[in-house]
Amino acid sequence: MRLRRIVPRLTMTVSVAAPAVISCWSCKGPVAARALFCSVCGAVQGPGDIDHFTRLGLGPGYDVDLDALDRQYFGFQRRLHPDRFAAKSSREKAFSQQQATALNDAYETLKDPLKRAAYLLRLAGKPVDLNSSATISDPVLLMEQMEKREAIAEAADVAEIGALIAEAEAEVAGCQKDLSAAFAANRQGEAAQLAVRLKYLLKLVEDARSRKVRMAGR
Amino acid sequence: MAYSDKVIDHYENPRNVGGFGKEDEGVGTGLVGAPACGDVMKLQIKVSADGIIEDAKFKTFGCGSAIASSSLVTEWVKGKTLDEAAQIKNTEIAQELALPPVKIHCSVLAEDAIKAAIADYRKKTGSESGNGTDTAAE
Repeated sequence: MRLRRIVPRLTMTVSVAAPAVISCWSCKGPVAARALFCSVCGAVQGPGDIDHFTRLGLGPGYDVDLDALDRQYFGFQRRLHPDRFAAKSSREKAFSQQQATALNDAYETLKDPLKRAAYLLRLAGKPVDLNSSATISDPVLLMEQMEKREAIAEAADVAEIGALIAEAEAEVAGCQKDLSAAFAANRQGEAAQLAVRLKYLLKLVEDARSRKVRMAGR
Repeated sequence: MAYSDKVIDHYENPRNVGGFGKEDEGVGTGLVGAPACGDVMKLQIKVSADGIIEDAKFKTFGCGSAIASSSLVTEWVKGKTLDEAAQIKNTEIAQELALPPVKIHCSVLAEDAIKAAIADYRKKTGSESGNGTDTAAE
């Protein structure tokens, strides 16, 4: 999925625990929970119990600046490269690996538009399981998706499929905008519905692309 | 994942693909989806005046197991009464098709689809004899 990098700036009010100050395991000095290293003694810290946004030094919200996300993530990972810990204690080696794993998890979640939406709903205390096997019966969404999938199956040539892909991608972008607005306004119920819609739209794009590949291969 | 021979048979030669007019007399439509896989399933029944399912059609966009489950259900419900058809259980579908555990939800989708089609038919016919204000089922 190509991600849109231009997203409207909206503030949002998801409650995220304030970055607590803890004490460094090594020198006992004060250190921010999100810090990778102690500013006093320089020792690597274990991953604190903080949310993904705080971990990556980003503000909470559905609108994530994907360039900033990449910069933060790769910057942190460079500082945690195993080569830098070759001569360190086994405790520091273990902490650096745990930090790297926690950063991976945060990055994978925030980078993905669908996982990010599900994560924000979880933070807001309204978790939605997009992978549950529960059946839905939203007639408007399902009828629309049925028609679009039919159009893909019946497309006569690559040009027609290309137009359907472009249309589906525009809908994905529109749905992300709607998600952003819903989160910004604290309308979690609407956001949960939009997340399901986004899941279907991403499936639509995938379906159209694979049809195009099969068509082009003939 | 290896599909069973029965799934492959229904997938390659799906029975009763297509649809009836949603507003046609005696037609009930069930439209359900599984967000986990982005599947959409439409299952329709055509019910005779004496309450027997004469014909059934489906259209499913989903994996092989979802297609096979809905295809199988359209075969099973023909000739049944609505009450008999409503008793079809996903476990029977899963067993007949030898679905692996990760594909059980496809059979759940098919069970929910036939139940939705029956409910739609009952709503339609119920409103015809009632005050007539609730004619659009979807």
